[in-house]
Amino acid sequence: MDGKVIVVTSGKGGVGKTTITASIGAALALQGKRVVVVDMDIGLRNLDVVMGLENRIVFNIVDIIKNRCKIKQAAIKDRRIDNLFLIPASQSDDKDAIKPENMVWLANKLRKEFDITLLDCPAGIEQGFRNSVVAADEALVVCTPEVSSVRDADRIIGLLYAQSISPKLIVNRIVPKMVENGDMLSHEDVVDVLSIDLIGLIEMDDRVVVSANTGMPLVLQEDSKAGKAMQRIAMRLDGHPDLPIENPMIQKGFWKKLGSKFSRKN
Amino acid sequence: MNFNSLLKKLMNKPGSKTIAKKRLQFALLTDKLEIKTDTLADLQRDLVDVISRYFEIDKQSMKIDIQRSEEHSALIFNTPIIAAHRRREIPAT
Repeated sequence: MDGKVIVVTSGKGGVGKTTITASIGAALALQGKRVVVVDMDIGLRNLDVVMGLENRIVFNIVDIIKNRCKIKQAAIKDRRIDNLFLIPASQSDDKDAIKPENMVWLANKLRKEFDITLLDCPAGIEQGFRNSVVAADEALVVCTPEVSSVRDADRIIGLLYAQSISPKLIVNRIVPKMVENGDMLSHEDVVDVLSIDLIGLIEMDDRVVVSANTGMPLVLQEDSKAGKAMQRIAMRLDGHPDLPIENPMIQKGFWKKLGSKFSRKN
Repeated sequence: MNFNSLLKKLMNKPGSKTIAKKRLQFALLTDKLEIKTDTLADLQRDLVDVISRYFEIDKQSMKIDIQRSEEHSALIFNTPIIAAHRRREIPAT
């Protein structure tokens, strides 16, 4: 059976697409799938450093398209996680080095080789976005609980619908304390505005920075809440669509918990 | 919960997210009303075709525009009529 191609996109930059792509890819591989993650940001590659594989790049996606190498030669195998591969972007080529028809061709090849292909879409709605979407079967839209991010997500969702793709939403960098104080949009607010299905909620987590610093996959860090959330998203993508979505809550200490038991509910 | 947020709750003051949500909903609404420049040009061409069947109009000084205000938005089409075609002169469609 052919594998599926999933694009991770957001419109706005800096909302966590690359981290999420790397982590969900790693989680799916840990669940036993054969996974390739593809960096679609030609000229500004980053997925390689987030995954800690930057020293092992020989060929890149443009080399594959231009027939300068085989897919097997360009796909870097992660040594820590079995069945996880990365196809890096080219750092020197132009944004339009890849055409939509090239991506359709590549996606068909990848469907034969891998169970799941994750495309890390660049920010914006230009060539890189179009290339990623044209090749995709499914889409994950990432946004943070901020006005600018949700607005861009809405635009992206519209463009995906126009391509007959019904995306699923990931709300990233939730700060439960701020949500409780009414100073951050809750995921209910975001879903209400965007009216699409949710597939995961990720809490703001310092471990993400540590993971990016060291190139160590987030899902291998025992104490990362974000890593756990991404593992659950990976499960929802792979055979457990009804796994309940956990709402990030403030971690209360013993005394605070006791206090809140006796205080009036509001 | 710290003192400030407790105070805010006691005074029943909504958090900034209420403002964020309202702004967001309004922004999305106006975003969707926005149309491409090409669309407007296409519409103008089609309108000229239709109106020319009934009236002789000055194609140069005609104007099409979308006016937006906070409450509503309107399509404004403005053209001087030079003459009305007599009924039998209406070209076949």
